[in-house]
Amino acid sequence: MSARPDGIALEARDLRKAFGGVRAVDGCSFAVPRGKISGLIGPNGSGKTTTFNLLTGLAAPDGGEVLYRGESLAGLKPYQIFRRGVTRTFQVTRIFREMTVLENMLSVTGLDVPDRVARARAEELIAFVNLTHLRAEYGGRLSYGQQKLLEFARALMTDPDLILLDEPAAGVNRTLLQHLLDHIHRLERQGKTIVIVEHDMNVIMNHCERIFVMDGGVKIAEGPPAEIQRDERVLEAYFGRRR
Amino acid sequence: MTRVEHLRNLALLGACAVALAILPHALTVYLRSFVLFTMMYVVLALSWNIISGFTGYTSFGHVAFYGIGAYACAILVADYRWHWLPTLGVGAVLAAVVGVAIGYPVLRLKGPYFAIAMLGAAEGTRVVATVWDGLTHGGLGISLPSAETSLETYDAMLVLMLLTIVVAYGVGHSRFGVRLNAIREDEVAAEALGINATLYKLTAFTLSAVFPAVAGGIQAYKVLYIDPPSVFFVQITIAMALMSMLGGKGTVIGPIVGAMLLYTAQELTWVNFPTAHLIAYGLFIVLVARFMPRGLMGFAIDRGWVRKGMIH
Amino acid sequence: MERSDVRSLYLLAAFLVCAYAMPFLVGAWAGTVRLDERWLGNLATVVVGGVMQGGVYAMFALGLTLIFGVMRIINAAHGEMVMMGAYLTWVAFFYLGVDPLLSIVLTLPIAFVFGVVVQKLLLDAAVGAPELTGLLITFGLGLAMIYTAELIFTTDFRTIPYAPGTVQLTSAIAVGQNRVISFVLAVAISTAVYLFLKLSRLGKAVRATALNAEVAMVCGIDVRRIYLITTGLAAALAVAGGALVSIQFGFNPETGVLYTLQAFAIIVLGGRGHYVGALIGGLMLAVLENLVSLMVPNGTAMVELAAYGLMISVLLIRPGGLMGVKEG
Repeated sequence: MSARPDGIALEARDLRKAFGGVRAVDGCSFAVPRGKISGLIGPNGSGKTTTFNLLTGLAAPDGGEVLYRGESLAGLKPYQIFRRGVTRTFQVTRIFREMTVLENMLSVTGLDVPDRVARARAEELIAFVNLTHLRAEYGGRLSYGQQKLLEFARALMTDPDLILLDEPAAGVNRTLLQHLLDHIHRLERQGKTIVIVEHDMNVIMNHCERIFVMDGGVKIAEGPPAEIQRDERVLEAYFGRRR
Repeated sequence: MTRVEHLRNLALLGACAVALAILPHALTVYLRSFVLFTMMYVVLALSWNIISGFTGYTSFGHVAFYGIGAYACAILVADYRWHWLPTLGVGAVLAAVVGVAIGYPVLRLKGPYFAIAMLGAAEGTRVVATVWDGLTHGGLGISLPSAETSLETYDAMLVLMLLTIVVAYGVGHSRFGVRLNAIREDEVAAEALGINATLYKLTAFTLSAVFPAVAGGIQAYKVLYIDPPSVFFVQITIAMALMSMLGGKGTVIGPIVGAMLLYTAQELTWVNFPTAHLIAYGLFIVLVARFMPRGLMGFAIDRGWVRKGMIH
Repeated sequence: MERSDVRSLYLLAAFLVCAYAMPFLVGAWAGTVRLDERWLGNLATVVVGGVMQGGVYAMFALGLTLIFGVMRIINAAHGEMVMMGAYLTWVAFFYLGVDPLLSIVLTLPIAFVFGVVVQKLLLDAAVGAPELTGLLITFGLGLAMIYTAELIFTTDFRTIPYAPGTVQLTSAIAVGQNRVISFVLAVAISTAVYLFLKLSRLGKAVRATALNAEVAMVCGIDVRRIYLITTGLAAALAVAGGALVSIQFGFNPETGVLYTLQAFAIIVLGGRGHYVGALIGGLMLAVLENLVSLMVPNGTAMVELAAYGLMISVLLIRPGGLMGVKEG
C-alpha cells in the first residue's frame, strides 16, 4: 500500500449522504495532501460532520467513495479502516469512563507487539500528554481537558499516518489548546497527515496549510488560509450575501 | 498487575484448590453437596460475568446453556449408556455451537433488548425440551442410573471451578478483557479503535456458554433426575446475575464472592421460608440494582481498598 | 422514508406473511387442517376470537408503551400487574360478591395508587439511568409479586365463572359472551385513554414529556408528576386487563410472565411508544397465537414460542416495529 506519487493521503469523491430526505452531503469532493495539516470548515449544517463520519466509516455513503492512499474504503467497517492507518477523535470525547487511563490506551488494537512493548508505548504517550500522574484513575474522573488529551494520546497508539481530529479546540482553554497544537505540529514534522474539523477560525487559519470549506453539503472552496479568508463564496456562506 | 502479583494469586488459588480437594473427606454428605453447589454457582456467576460484566451485554437467558449441558449428559447416560465424563465434553461443544448460532443474531441487539431476547431464547429452549419428547422425554424428565459417588461429582465440579476461575482471570487481566470492557463502555468508539466488536462479543458469549453447560452436566449426574422446569429454572439465571452484580460485575473476585455469599444466604433461608426467600430474591435484585449497581467490589474500589482497573 | 427504512418495512411485511402462513403449513403437514365447511367455520371463529382477545392485549400493552414512551423504562413486571388485576377481581368476586366488571371501578384506583408508589420508590431513580437498570428493578419487582401471590393464593389455577353463554355472530361463528364483553370494554377503555392523551391538557403534557422531557420541563410541566401519573395509568390499564382476562381464562401467579412477554412482543411489533401501534400489534399477536394454538400440534406450548419468535424476529429485522419508531 504505497502512497500515490502525487502525495494525496485521503480523497473524497462525490460523496453523498441523505438522512430521511435531508441531503447532508450532496456531491462533496476533495483531496487531502499528505504530510500536511488540513482544515475542514463550514457553517452549521454544512455537512462537515457527516463528511467526517463518512471518511472514517461511521456512516456509509449513499454515493461516491472515499480513497485512502489510492485504495477505496467502500464497505469497510470502522475497525477495518482503523487498521489501515486512519484514526480519529470525537467532538464530544468518547473515552472509556469506567476504565483507567492506562486501560484506555491499551484497548487499542492493531499493535502486533508483546504486552510489554504495548505498555511501554502507552506509558510514553501518557507522558507525552502529561497525564502520568493520572494513569490509574478512571477516565470518567478526568476533567474535560484531560479527557481530550487522553483521547488524543489514545489515537496515537498505533502511530497512524492519518489523523482526523473532530473539533479538538471545543471546550478547551487557551493553554491546553496551545499544548495540543504543539503536539499536532510535532506530528506533522514526523510526516503524518492531519485533518482538523473546526469552528475556531484562529486555529484553522494559523495552523492549517490547506483549508476545505463546505456549505450545503458540497465543497465550495479550497486553498491556503490567505486565499480562503478573501474568498467571496466563503464569506457569503458564513455571513450571508453582501447587500 | 505485576508478574509477582499474578504468581501470588496463582499460589492462592492452588492453596484453595488443595484445601477444597481434601475437604469433602471431612464433611457430611449434606455439606459436601453444599460446597459442590457453591462451587457450581461460582462457575455460573463467573461465566455470566464474562458476557454481562466485562462485555456489558446482560444476558437473562444463560440458563439455556446450563440446561443444554444437563440434557446432553442425561440423554447420553440414560438412553445411550455413555460414561458420564465424555458427555460433559459433548455438552460443552453443543453449548458452543448453540452459543454461536444464537449469539450471532442476538448480539446485534442493544442492552435491554439483548437481555429480553436471551430470556426468550432460554424459554424457547425450555419449550423445545418439553415438546421434543422423542429426544428429551418431554415433561416426564429423565432419570439417570445411579452410579455416581458423591466424590466423583465433587471433584469434577472442583476442577471445573478452577478452570473457570483461571479463564476468567486470564480474560479479565488481558488486553482481550480490556477490549471487552471497551465494547461495554462505548462500542462505537471501540470500533473506531480497531476492535472488531462482532468477533469479540461472539467469542466472549461462546466462552460464557461453555462452562455453565459443563456445570449443568455435572449437576444432572449428581441429582439423577432432570426435567425441563427444574433445569431451565429462571431462578438460576437470576442467581447468576444477582451473584455477579452483588459481588461486582466486571471484576474477577466479585462474582466469586457474590456467589459464595448469596448461595450461603439462600441455603440458610430457603429451608425455613421456601416461598418467602424467593420474594426476598426479587426484592434483593431491586435493591442491588437501585442502590448498589457496582456491587461489593465497587464499594471496595471506591474506598481505595482495591485498585481501580484490571491492568496496572 | 430512507431507503433502508423502506427495505426493512418490506422485509418485515414478508416475514409477517410467512409467520401467519406457518401455522397453516405446519397444520397441513400434521393433519390438523381440514378444508371442510365446519373446520373453516371453526377457523373463522378462532380468528374473530383472536381479534377480540387482541383488543384486551392491546389495552394492557398500551400501558407498557406509555411507560416506555415517557420514561424509557421497560417494565418487566407488567404481566404481574395484569395478574394482580386478575387476583383483585377474583377476591372481589369470591369474598365480596362484587360483579367482576363492576369491581373494575374499585380496582382501578387501587392500581393507580400502586403504580404511583412503585414509581416514587423504585422507578424514579431509573428514569435517566441506563435502560437496563429499569429492566432489572422491574424484573425484581415482578419476581417479588409472583411469589407474594404464590404465598397468598398458592399456585392453584383460579377462574371466575362469568357470562358463560355464547354470542352467535354469524351462522358459523360463535364467540363466548365473556370474550365479547371484554373486547367491548377493552376498546372503550383504550379509546378513553387515547382521547385523554390526545385531547386533554394533562394528556398532552404526558405526550410532551414522552417526546422530550427536558423541553417539557422548560415549558413548565412538572415532569416528576407526569411520571407518577404515567405509571399509575399504566398500572390501571394492566389491572383492567387483568380483570377482563380473569373472566375468560384461568390464571395463577405465574401466568403474568406470559402476559409480560406478550406485551413486549406487542409493543416491539407495533413500535415502542406508539399508541396505535400497540393496538395493531395486539390484534396481530392474538390472531397469530390463536392460529398457532388451533393448527400446530402442542399448540399451547407453542404459543409462547410464537410470541418470542415474533418479538426477536422483529427486533432483528426492523427494531422500530411496523410504525417505524426511531431510536432515542
